[in-house]
Amino acid sequence: MAPTDYTYPSVYFAYLFFALMFFLAVYFFFKSRRDGYWGEKGEEAKYQMFDEDETPRSTP
Amino acid sequence: MQPQFSKAEVATTPEGALVHDDSTAKWFLVSSVAYFFIVGIIAVIIAAKFVWPDLMGTMSWLTYGRLRPLHVNGMLFGWLLAADMGLAYYVIPRLCGVKLWSEKLGLATAILWNVIILGAVVTLLAGQNQGWEYAELPWYLDVLVVAAWIMFGLNVLMTVASRKHQAMYVTIWYTMGCILWTAFVYLTGNFATLVTTGTNQANLNWMYVHNAVGLIFTPIGLAIAYYFIPRASNTPLHSHKLSMVGFWSLAFVYVWTGAHHMLHGPISQWLQTIAIAFSLMLLIPVWAVVYNLFATMKGQWHQLRESVPLKFLMSGVVFYLLTCFQGPMHSLRTVNAIVSKTDWIPGHAHMAVLGCFSFFAIAGTYFTVPKLWGKPLHSQSLANWSYWMLMIGGLGFFTTLWLGGFWQGWQWNNWSIPFIDTVIALRPIWIVRFVSGILMFIGIVMFAYNILATALGDQQEAAV
Repeated sequence: MAPTDYTYPSVYFAYLFFALMFFLAVYFFFKSRRDGYWGEKGEEAKYQMFDEDETPRSTP
Repeated sequence: MQPQFSKAEVATTPEGALVHDDSTAKWFLVSSVAYFFIVGIIAVIIAAKFVWPDLMGTMSWLTYGRLRPLHVNGMLFGWLLAADMGLAYYVIPRLCGVKLWSEKLGLATAILWNVIILGAVVTLLAGQNQGWEYAELPWYLDVLVVAAWIMFGLNVLMTVASRKHQAMYVTIWYTMGCILWTAFVYLTGNFATLVTTGTNQANLNWMYVHNAVGLIFTPIGLAIAYYFIPRASNTPLHSHKLSMVGFWSLAFVYVWTGAHHMLHGPISQWLQTIAIAFSLMLLIPVWAVVYNLFATMKGQWHQLRESVPLKFLMSGVVFYLLTCFQGPMHSLRTVNAIVSKTDWIPGHAHMAVLGCFSFFAIAGTYFTVPKLWGKPLHSQSLANWSYWMLMIGGLGFFTTLWLGGFWQGWQWNNWSIPFIDTVIALRPIWIVRFVSGILMFIGIVMFAYNILATALGDQQEAAV
């Protein structure tokens, strides 16, 4: 490797980001389970956008 | 019909309802629509250059090599990402039930973003180009992009942190995912590639190019679709849990697919195989999204007759399904051997970025602008025409490039055909591409005029 070639450190830097994203994804996935997104009340979030609605929504 | 608000309707604020400032959303949307029109002119010129290669050829700043990166960067960052950011500034505070954390910071972001885009126009036309796909901008503009993204991310994340509702709707998840993923994708593609060499450099670049679509425009595009389809149809999302399945599977799968651009290239076979395997797994989040959005429209399809935003949104969902089926399929080694580097690829990319994500952004803009300015849309009829122009032009463009790309690939695989003969043979394909581009540009002009006339004009009632 030439003295000015930073290929491998840069690739490792990119893969570090991959690993970081992977572990963040795993962490937040389990956090979302703990916060109830997969439980009985997991569907409540979808009604929030109608809170300020000017017109009545149709029956689902 | 959702976007046809009467003056009385748009002027009415329910008692106790939060009043949003929305200055940032307005600035982003107006400037992005203006760039859509301006860069559309560039698009038509470079499509014409395929048919008449000598067109404007003597002026260096109007050569294909300078206009093409301007078209790509202008459409991606000047139009689409700016429109998506503008819509995020509109949607996120409403989903959180609070005002935007800082309108001043938002306006500063809008100004900085416009400085970046105008800087891109000047530098790219002047021939300052790093020579990397989607990463052509000079490093000092890249630094400004990072600064603007931090400002955007901070504003959105602080708004989410102060939300009224504990549970976050899927649009918020995708927007936060986009903020996080863009940070690492952009840094890798624009800075890590500067200090690498050889195939590793190419590999990092293609990881960036693929994930610019997959981890920047896909999450923010889906965030918009997940908000505006239920909103425009007045129908709650089919399943929030299924939307979470789509989000998390995308988060797990997408990062690893970029190397499929290097199939049959000088990179490790194991890396190619991993990219193929993860590309096929993309069908999981894609089907989770498409099924959910189709199921939301169950019993509501009749609304498409009257609602232009819904026309764009549901057409975008169909294009999303098509492009995301096409992607994994041409990641297979045998298919890739034919279509790689051919006109098939721009056909595929345009269906993703224009047919899907730009359709979502256009729908969101048509939906929000009358609300933001408290006026009815300038012309419903013109909006409907803009849809059909973009749809017919788009279909002509996509299908012509797929067929042409396959034909081109078969010719390239036949060593007895001289390369220049394959170029000459493609001319009829490029004529259709140019005509389709004209139709799409007419659609863009109609859309831009309609939006700007609504925002900046002083019409009293809809001129339908």
